[in-house]
Amino acid sequence: MRGSVRLLTKRYNSSSSVCPAAVESAAHAKVDSEPRPYAQVPGPKPIPLLGNTWRLLPLIGQYQISDLAKVSKILYNEYGKIVKLSGLVGRPDLLFVYDAQEIEMMYRTETDAPHRPSMPCLVKYKSEVRKDFFGRLPGVVGVHGEPWREFRTKVQRPILRPAAVVQYIQPIEEVTNQFLDRMLQIRDEQDELPNDFDNDIHKWALECIGRIALDVRLGCLDPNLADDSEPMKIINGAKFALRNIALLELKFPFWRYVPTPLWGRYVKNMDYFIEICMKHIDKAQDRLQKKLDAGTPESEFSVVERILMSDPDPKLAYVLALDLILVGIDTISMAVCSVLYQLATRTDAQEKMYKELKKVLPTKDTPLTNNLLENMPYTRSFIKEVLRMYSTVIGNGRTLLEDKVICGYNIPKGVQLVFPTIVTGNMPEYVKDPDHFYPERWLKEHKADYYRHPFASLPYGFGVRMCLGRRFADLEMQILLAKLVRSYKLEYHHEPLEYKVTFMYAPEGPLRFKMTPRDD
Amino acid sequence: MLFRSLASGISTVKLVRAGLLYRNLVVNRYCPARNLFQSPVLHHGEFEWTDPKSEDEVVNITFIDKEGKKIDIRGKVGDNVLFLAQRYGIEMEGACEGSLACTTCHVYVEGEHFDKLPSPQEIEEDLLDMAPFLKENSRLGCQITLSKELEGLCLSLPKITRNFYVDGHKPKPH
Repeated sequence: MRGSVRLLTKRYNSSSSVCPAAVESAAHAKVDSEPRPYAQVPGPKPIPLLGNTWRLLPLIGQYQISDLAKVSKILYNEYGKIVKLSGLVGRPDLLFVYDAQEIEMMYRTETDAPHRPSMPCLVKYKSEVRKDFFGRLPGVVGVHGEPWREFRTKVQRPILRPAAVVQYIQPIEEVTNQFLDRMLQIRDEQDELPNDFDNDIHKWALECIGRIALDVRLGCLDPNLADDSEPMKIINGAKFALRNIALLELKFPFWRYVPTPLWGRYVKNMDYFIEICMKHIDKAQDRLQKKLDAGTPESEFSVVERILMSDPDPKLAYVLALDLILVGIDTISMAVCSVLYQLATRTDAQEKMYKELKKVLPTKDTPLTNNLLENMPYTRSFIKEVLRMYSTVIGNGRTLLEDKVICGYNIPKGVQLVFPTIVTGNMPEYVKDPDHFYPERWLKEHKADYYRHPFASLPYGFGVRMCLGRRFADLEMQILLAKLVRSYKLEYHHEPLEYKVTFMYAPEGPLRFKMTPRDD
Repeated sequence: MLFRSLASGISTVKLVRAGLLYRNLVVNRYCPARNLFQSPVLHHGEFEWTDPKSEDEVVNITFIDKEGKKIDIRGKVGDNVLFLAQRYGIEMEGACEGSLACTTCHVYVEGEHFDKLPSPQEIEEDLLDMAPFLKENSRLGCQITLSKELEGLCLSLPKITRNFYVDGHKPKPH
């Protein structure tokens, strides 16, 4: 342990200019050299460069825009480390920041309630359509200021402290085992998964998040679901949400002005999710009552039960469950599509992972424990490397709450900052050989050399508004990899897939992986 | 009316409980639970605000602040260092309230006590990587729980944690 810390120290010192330099640049910008005016921030003057892409920029944050991954890279190549996109109709200017030092400073100096713009549909639903239900504390997604902070304070420790996830290892492993069985069954005669395998990944993600946020096995992975069964309705609801939020927010934002039929269906769909959340949380509450009556020790309470205990009003648990489900299905399943595609196309890395897993898990059915999961550094690094090179969420966003000097320019409050982690995580000044897919760079012994700025790749953000579902996202992905790679080999023998931002950054096309059991 | 579509199939009781109909009628079914839950896990900091019940529980520790001033504190077994520091007005921010999302409770563990602490988990190590002025004996205060073995623990605060405080801004606990 000593050794590892020493390495870390060395690493930090090697980039020790990071922090003090940021201090200096921040201080100097104020004192020594006069910051330049906002109008001089480089960027495409009129919109034409992007064609009509600007139409597709209604939100930065959780959900991303069609070609923004590429646009973002183009902007950096063309204009440098700070780029302004102004003249956007009906919305504030976007400011892309590609400087890890400045990004570090922005994260470090943010207030205790940073403003993160996201999901206008959900904002309208929560704050207008169902205002009475959401009330004063409408959750974390699309909420800002004091109501956000109050809600986050109530839920973040139960859900983010590492101990919280330990009790979900076994349940998520169970869900994952069922998923792997299902994968085996749906293979064709060439042992390949079907064209719509991504649908099954969505179902697995839904089943996982249901187990966490609602304390229930929804049954989404069960075979032969009837159309009117609850799991099927939930699956379709999640699919609807996934597809139509993109349409509503990216293509047809007219609902902002008039209630369109699509908007009507969106509202109905959201109502259904609230109904599901209430139904299962109420059941959880009954179980909790029984546990309390029986004097069950505190350590055996689930996250949902802890949330229910912490607040007399079950609304807190309803709203949290809704938020977790809304953002916990497609984010994780798209990330898994990406992780599995990289796994299937990088056989060497997969073999290394298999060797590590074989050492840690003596048999295929060795049950996972926290200790075992901590002992899979390569597997964990593989996920980090996929998220660095192909970050599912291509950037994070903040609305500037006060005037600030960024990269030597005066930036007025109200501007929407974008920290494009997918670009900064691939810049040679922050990451050695960024084009080289090299999970080892995250291992203690290499990190100092290979990952030079700790704020370059931040797929989950950092600080008080860091992704609330992060622990569970990491856990779900790691368990899936551990179980899958320990027992099976995954290959891909078709045309390479292209990464696109349809909603998030993921490979587009059928994931026809070949899945074969390993002998040992 | 507004909730017609939602309300279909949901009992009135549930709607009441959800605050959809009469928000004031929310039934507090778990009042007794408040007493059951004295744990630092659930109500951050509450546990740290209780004094040690006996001398056996006492763990004396010392903070050294940014100016080098020593502050002795009488803690107890099970106290979380972050919340204990906040109780006694030590300038340790803990912006994320101990949920391992930031580095604002970064401390240096002085002397031999460093090796007595359980090794950091990967999550803490990754965050330490992001802490300004990382040293060999760096840890996050929110991950240190007092035990008898830590009697005499000495923690110094780094010059900079979250903000750069160039403007003299003082952190405040949440």
